[in-house]
Amino acid sequence: MSAIVAGVDIGSTTAKSVVLGEDSRVLGKSLSPVGVDIVKDAERALESALADAHLSRPEVSFITGTGYGRYKVYFGQLVVTEISCHARGANFLFPGTRLVVDIGGQDTKAIRVNEKGEVVDFAMNDKCAAGTGRFLEVCSNALGYDVAEIGLLSLQAKRAVKLTSTCTVFAESEVTSYVSRGKDPKDILAGLHASIANRTLSLMQRVGVEPEITFTGGVSQNQGMVQALHRRLGTPVNVSPLSPYLGALGAALHGRDRFSGGVS
Amino acid sequence: MITGGLDLGTGTIKGVLLEDGRRILATASVPSRGIPTQAARHVLDELAETANIAPGDVDYLCTTGFGRYAIPERNLQVSDFTSSARGAVFLFPKTRLVVDVGTQASRTMTISESGKVLKFKMNEKCAAGAGRFVERCSKYLQVPLDEMGPRSLAAEHPKLISSVCAVLAETEIINNITEGVPLSDILMGVFLSLSQRAYALMRYVGIQPEVTLVGGLVHNVGMVKALHDTVGMDVNVAPDGYYAAALGSAILGHSRILKLSRAPPEAGR
Repeated sequence: MSAIVAGVDIGSTTAKSVVLGEDSRVLGKSLSPVGVDIVKDAERALESALADAHLSRPEVSFITGTGYGRYKVYFGQLVVTEISCHARGANFLFPGTRLVVDIGGQDTKAIRVNEKGEVVDFAMNDKCAAGTGRFLEVCSNALGYDVAEIGLLSLQAKRAVKLTSTCTVFAESEVTSYVSRGKDPKDILAGLHASIANRTLSLMQRVGVEPEITFTGGVSQNQGMVQALHRRLGTPVNVSPLSPYLGALGAALHGRDRFSGGVS
Repeated sequence: MITGGLDLGTGTIKGVLLEDGRRILATASVPSRGIPTQAARHVLDELAETANIAPGDVDYLCTTGFGRYAIPERNLQVSDFTSSARGAVFLFPKTRLVVDVGTQASRTMTISESGKVLKFKMNEKCAAGAGRFVERCSKYLQVPLDEMGPRSLAAEHPKLISSVCAVLAETEIINNITEGVPLSDILMGVFLSLSQRAYALMRYVGIQPEVTLVGGLVHNVGMVKALHDTVGMDVNVAPDGYYAAALGSAILGHSRILKLSRAPPEAGR
């Protein structure tokens, strides 16, 4: 039996929700910032996705929560880790995916998956802001840019500046010192993206680098980061406009399995 | 005989003038901004003025710290480990373990009776274990640096920080404020977090009394208490511990002069 299902992914920085139709088509989605009241943020994420799909709550048969704040999705019937959800979502969008790279606002994950989209192995950095979206945010603020514009700017660099600091705090000072030495901000931005690509690669190597590689999480929408990863890996990475929603999408798919399994 | 020690750190430049390797004549410090040679000149002038000597009366100048190679008029340069250790053992002769928490790096070293470094461990990769973390907290908590220590002493239930990273800790601390955790508890949590990082480095080289804290945080009563509570033993602190590396390099400069002034062995024997 098929039905309309929804996934809600509460990340450290944003809440995502996806509503899936009976044919597993994405009917609606939403992305909004996470504040102090996570319970309310989760509600709002789902309501926005439903509004986007022109549906009402009773039409949804099953809701699954995932992400860092998944236990705050009180209205859901199931909770699944974001690792399983990203694996599942990446497999759904790019069936050839064997490695998922998820760069979020506050953590980074490398997830090895099999052909069914099941998790084989994973490595995670949630201890240090270096290599995460937070690093880009702090450094783009130091340069006076909005984090949304730095990816494209970095692609206009002539010669990337090599950053030596790993730590976000030290990188921030290093960035400022390059500015005062008259370096082109675009070259500095390219250096920042290359630095994250390096950090990401070492995380990926812990689980094994195997194509196809699918890039998910908020930072996947940064074109500079997509290119920097491509260059560092020597192979292109899969991205889609749905990449930031893959956790929520995977959650919805897991929910569908559970729902149809329970009924049949 | 007067020797000068200059410690060119990432946060401040510190200087000491020493007479005959024994008596501290003057200490001075300025923030490390702009051109290091100019800032160093400023420190040297201030030292000379305090000691009431002409700048040219300094017989020997020894530099240490991150910027030690930037000063052309130096006679000698030594590593920050060597100089901090020497300074610590000068202030507290029974020191066997030195903890130096600087702006961008923390160092620990076990030392011999004469102040020679036996084993050392440093963290310069991550701001969480360094003074920079305290500076950032001061900024977003809007508590002046010199008030953080005294205010932290009022803590009843120090709020420990679970984040290892200085940036992620920032979010955590701001959440704690939103939740109404008292400021003193948050401040003591910051110092305990820093102490735990220092303790990890200390365990690596081996904990043994006496422990001496030197560097930028010696004046901070909160840090001293937190380190004491974390390590579970008394920690030596002295006001001149702030200048330990500069002091140590002045002492090493003095030993070098003595060595050089000894009559060279006659040839042919």
